[in-house]
Amino acid sequence: MKFKYTLEILTGIAILAFCAVFLYTSSTMSGAEFSGSDNVGSGLISKLSGTPLENFHPLIPQWEPPSSEIESSLFAFQAAVGGILVGGVFGYWIGQKKKA
Amino acid sequence: MHIMEGFLPWQWCLVWWIIALPCLLLGIYQLKRVLAADRDALPLLGVTGGFIFILSSLKLPSVTGSCSHPTGTGLSTISFGPWITAVVCAIVLLFQSLFLAHGGLSVLGANIVSMGVVGPLAGYAFYRLLRDTSVNIYITVFLVTAMADLFTYITTSLELALAYPAESGGVVSSFLLFLGIFAVTQVPLAIVEGIVLALVFKYIITLKPDILIRLKIFSKEKINAARNEI
Repeated sequence: MKFKYTLEILTGIAILAFCAVFLYTSSTMSGAEFSGSDNVGSGLISKLSGTPLENFHPLIPQWEPPSSEIESSLFAFQAAVGGILVGGVFGYWIGQKKKA
Repeated sequence: MHIMEGFLPWQWCLVWWIIALPCLLLGIYQLKRVLAADRDALPLLGVTGGFIFILSSLKLPSVTGSCSHPTGTGLSTISFGPWITAVVCAIVLLFQSLFLAHGGLSVLGANIVSMGVVGPLAGYAFYRLLRDTSVNIYITVFLVTAMADLFTYITTSLELALAYPAESGGVVSSFLLFLGIFAVTQVPLAIVEGIVLALVFKYIITLKPDILIRLKIFSKEKINAARNEI
């Protein structure tokens, strides 16, 4: 009989390894702020162009979440939309399979 | 991978919009055709699109000491190809531009080209290369997903390097600097994303193998072999 859960175990190991790398990096790397790479990239743009970051302005006016808490909840909302889609369809497929 | 609003000169915004728009139109046309031919494709689109929504909202820490997010475009690329994937990505990126101030309307074209067009195109090239070979389906899904993710960030680096060439070394030097920020950060994330989405594909094969065969995503023989493999 073949072992059925190879991929599940591999996924578990990959996630654990990812977490371990984070713990190691955060405890050994000095100055690791774990800010978004988008922000780090913007810093490099500022350096390359010789323009201070505060001198970059939106070409098209943009609404910004008033706080990081609201931003987090909007990101969570985005993930929830995806979760509902995935969960809904998998549930539908499981129901169809049971019915068949 | 988001280029922030105001960080790309308007000329470059225009160039990337001109490239993105025909890809989106082709994607909408293909989407209509696929759904008209087989309504059962809609739930599969929901699952593959759902993972783009979920994974692109997760900011994860990486070895470079900064955070980045996976793209989740691999499953959609395999199931529906790069053009339909571009349409789903455009919806996600528009949401993030309007409500999260991640990206922006002027740079939306550039962000669509990196996450919705070039990344999925690179993944699709791997899929077409491996689809009819004896390579295991899950290894194919892993490679497609990881490459779609990685090439998204390589493209962002190129888009920024073209707009901001370094004083010494020009575009190439600037490209390498941006790669150091975006692509290196992305390598561990792309590997984990590839493994996770390979597992998700296993569940799709278990629950709905017929839709994968009907849409000619993989051959019947390969799907049946994958069901017995792991």
